[in-house]
Amino acid sequence: MGLIAWVMMGLAIWHFAIFIPDRFWGGIVGAFLCAIFGAVVVGFATSGFTVPGNNSITIATALEAIPGALIGLAVAYAIGVRRGNPALHL
Amino acid sequence: MTDRRRNFFVLLFVAGLLVLSGLVIVAKPTVLGLDLKGGVSLVYQAKPTKQSAVTGEAVDLTIDIMRQRVDTLGVAEPEIQRTGTDQIDVSLPNVTNAEQAAAQVGKTAQLYFYDWETNVLGPNCKPQPTDAAVTGGQAAGRGAGAVSQYDAVARAAKCPATNTGKETTTGQYYLVNDKTKMVLAGPQEAKADLEAEATGNKITQNADTSVVRVNQGTIVVQAEGRNAGRYYVMRDAPALGGIDITDPRQSLDSGAGGNGQPTVTFDFTDKGKAVWQKITREIAQRGQDSFFGGDARSSFQHFAIVLDGELISAPFIDFQQNPDGIDATNGSEISGGFTIATAQELANLLKTGALPIKLDLISSSSISASLGKQALNQGAIAGLIGLALVSLFLLVVYRVLGLIAIGALGVYAVFLFALVKLIPVTLTLPGIAGLILTIGVAADANIVIFERVKEEVRLGRAIPVAISQGYRKGLTAIIDANVVIFMVAFILFMLATSGVKGFAFMLGVGTIVSFLTAVLLTQAVLGTLARSRTVSSPAMLGTHSKRQRFRWDYMGASKWFFSASGVILLVCALAVGTNGLNLGIDFASGTRIVAELPASATEQAVRDAVVPVAGNAKIQRVSGADFEGGQAFQVSVDTVAPGERAALEKALTAKFGQGTYSFQTIGPTFGKTVAESAIIAVIASLIVISAYIALRFEWRYAVPVLIALIHDLLITAGVYALLGLEVTTSTVAALLTILGYSLYDTIIVFDRVRENVPRMPRATFSQILNRSLSEVLMRSLATSVSTLLPILALLVLGGPTLQDFAIALTVGVITGAYSSIFIATPVMMHWKEAEPVWRSRRARVVEANNGVVPAYVTAAGGAATELEPEQPKRPRGRLTSPENPERAVSGKEFDEMVRDLHGDQAPAATEQLDRPRPEPDPGVKEPEPPPLPSSGADALPEDLVLKDDPSASKGSRRKRNRKHGRR
Repeated sequence: MGLIAWVMMGLAIWHFAIFIPDRFWGGIVGAFLCAIFGAVVVGFATSGFTVPGNNSITIATALEAIPGALIGLAVAYAIGVRRGNPALHL
Repeated sequence: MTDRRRNFFVLLFVAGLLVLSGLVIVAKPTVLGLDLKGGVSLVYQAKPTKQSAVTGEAVDLTIDIMRQRVDTLGVAEPEIQRTGTDQIDVSLPNVTNAEQAAAQVGKTAQLYFYDWETNVLGPNCKPQPTDAAVTGGQAAGRGAGAVSQYDAVARAAKCPATNTGKETTTGQYYLVNDKTKMVLAGPQEAKADLEAEATGNKITQNADTSVVRVNQGTIVVQAEGRNAGRYYVMRDAPALGGIDITDPRQSLDSGAGGNGQPTVTFDFTDKGKAVWQKITREIAQRGQDSFFGGDARSSFQHFAIVLDGELISAPFIDFQQNPDGIDATNGSEISGGFTIATAQELANLLKTGALPIKLDLISSSSISASLGKQALNQGAIAGLIGLALVSLFLLVVYRVLGLIAIGALGVYAVFLFALVKLIPVTLTLPGIAGLILTIGVAADANIVIFERVKEEVRLGRAIPVAISQGYRKGLTAIIDANVVIFMVAFILFMLATSGVKGFAFMLGVGTIVSFLTAVLLTQAVLGTLARSRTVSSPAMLGTHSKRQRFRWDYMGASKWFFSASGVILLVCALAVGTNGLNLGIDFASGTRIVAELPASATEQAVRDAVVPVAGNAKIQRVSGADFEGGQAFQVSVDTVAPGERAALEKALTAKFGQGTYSFQTIGPTFGKTVAESAIIAVIASLIVISAYIALRFEWRYAVPVLIALIHDLLITAGVYALLGLEVTTSTVAALLTILGYSLYDTIIVFDRVRENVPRMPRATFSQILNRSLSEVLMRSLATSVSTLLPILALLVLGGPTLQDFAIALTVGVITGAYSSIFIATPVMMHWKEAEPVWRSRRARVVEANNGVVPAYVTAAGGAATELEPEQPKRPRGRLTSPENPERAVSGKEFDEMVRDLHGDQAPAATEQLDRPRPEPDPGVKEPEPPPLPSSGADALPEDLVLKDDPSASKGSRRKRNRKHGRR
């Protein structure tokens, strides 16, 4: 259940990346993957490398994914900038 | 063959099929599932034994034996089938006693004969034949010399492993509490099974508990008469097994000295006879050797009959009467404590033979006939109301076209019902849900075509042309959507549990049949009526000849809708974190009882009766005219043992009078299986859908589709968490169906995008998407509404099971329609616009429009901005692609052609045309246009043709429309 919460949170955060000029590595899809990946990895690490089950999940489990998603997005953006992706204003 | 003749033959064919279907419906009975007619359903999971691994052959052999056992019960139309690799579903219609059925059908029935005194082990793990404190003396097997189960396990655990080849197990695990000296769970041959049993029985492991292993070669058996508190430790070295006996039967002990009690008599095989004679001779000889005068009975030795770990009997051998052992020619008998029923039961078990593998009962349910009748009525009413709602919607929106679609829906219903009877399909409640849903699928196909026809009419085409074009252009989207729904149904059918299989089967069959009726039949009818007065005016088709397209900057607004989705998901994630998901007994294991009570009762009164017996309970009132007393209560509790369930029924009966009780018990293994298969099904569906989209469109179209589907699934899960709705197997089936339905909308949009890309060679991708969405919005909304209507009928009128489907489907269909427009399409825009070809095109549009990109393509001087795509040549004679009757040209079409002759713009001229042109001086003759720029200045339409365009695959360039002039 923890995994669902993390993926959900990563997906939620990714939705707001649309306001940033797209210089993400892999475009919006790359941002999507990085946000989800970051949310899951950081959530997993913060939970002591276990996935909380349906009974042990708390609101903190969901919140733990936020920094991970943001880090994932930042990494995708940084790689995009480093590769010289031109900004896409839509 | 002309269109008219083809239509005639199609109508004739359908009429013939209708007659045949009518005959089938009248002649063939409908096979109802247990949930609709009542009965017992058992689900077993196969486990390996020392004798056999869980192989396909072993499961098949087990099913054969179970079938023979069921035959002895006299059950009509039983169904025993394998599910997956290691599960067996048993359906026994009209049976009410689930415990008895389970005992008779699924019992492993491993029967063994042991020399008693030489195999009963003392505290030092050694046999002590002369020590009555170990063997029980003359009370052998009946509890004398036995110890508590905890002590027996502890004693057995100290014994070393043996490997003589006679052992019946590979060792067994027990979960014990060392503080209370109790055995909590076991025996199980695998530690994982022990853990699962403990979890299922809500046993918490802590510092006081430990797992104890009894090695191969030692067993713990329960004392005779199911003396639960007393156990013996035995060396596992049986002399004979169940395979060594023949012709077991129930009999009476009516011989000399007989007491008339029921017994089980049997004969031996040749090998069995020899072994039997030998072992009884040894036992008699041992008795003789230990006899030193006095009462001979004190020296009688015994043999033990052990069935599935329980001591059935431990008869003695009279060494005075049988000094040379017992002659096995006349067989033997088992006696002691039988009633006629239990003796018959054992005889039948022995007759059909032991199962080669062990079976764990992981789910059992018993449904009363009245509950089944109620469910059937609710399903039928929901289906009829759903059909009526969809018909009304079609009639209001599409007028004559809608009338034809209603006829097609009627034909579809007849065909499907006939097919259900002909195959025959066992109709279950989830199957009815699938059937009702396919009404929406059938209507969707018509809506896609009808909207296309209306669009063609609005473009000014003559009605016969519009109808022909509507079918031709709408067909690909329908095929794509139906193929996806069919694939999802197939995956669901392959992976789901038996209840959901019915849903998947009906959805799959219905999708195929609906395709035939919604496309083939309506096309033939409309083709026949096309030139008649019935469809002579656009108003009769529910449209007007003028353009009525709703134009809005969807892509511009998508940021805000994207953000809204983000906020919704954020809330959903927090809800999942806060509440978790309310997993029903299908996942969390437990028992659900539906109690039909004769007396009037309240939920609180039922709770008061239930809680003292079963602890915490969730009570829910279920009303229905078919219930005894007009009311029933659904009671959900933790897993209760058969004895506790009987106590529960007794408590309810004492308070409210004799009621009718249906129950369902799900074990943890079943829940785990359901959860695993659900995850596999979702992943498999996503992979198959992606592959199909990549194949039919291009792989870049598949990624936004996947993101939108994940969005839909997660939002649906979030809504469940937010509202605390119970997640059941039906919810999982509904989630998978959502994948198919959500895709329907997305395919409609993407199909139009695919069509518009080559037609709009100067547009940015966002403009193409805006244009596409404005064209298909009504279609997308209409298909969603037509799908939602039958689902709403299920939601309101269906019983609890159908409502489970309906809730998830309602949320899913709404989010699916939303995500097609505001998630999948914007994601695709972002991704495609980043491609160099679209980036450069966008830059040109920005430059030509003072730094902005208009929402829709605008051309200088009001010139046409798009190209009519070349019609792909199709092989003649296909029923789905009629002759294109372009011969009929309306006045509007004629005017359009005239406009085209004066206003054509070739694709290569894009760059020139997009730039603002100076107003021409009326007095000056317009100069000849400059030479065309290099074709490399912009992508040509043919560069953007997608895979399914035959010309693209052949690498040939599309011919420019030579009839058009150049400005």
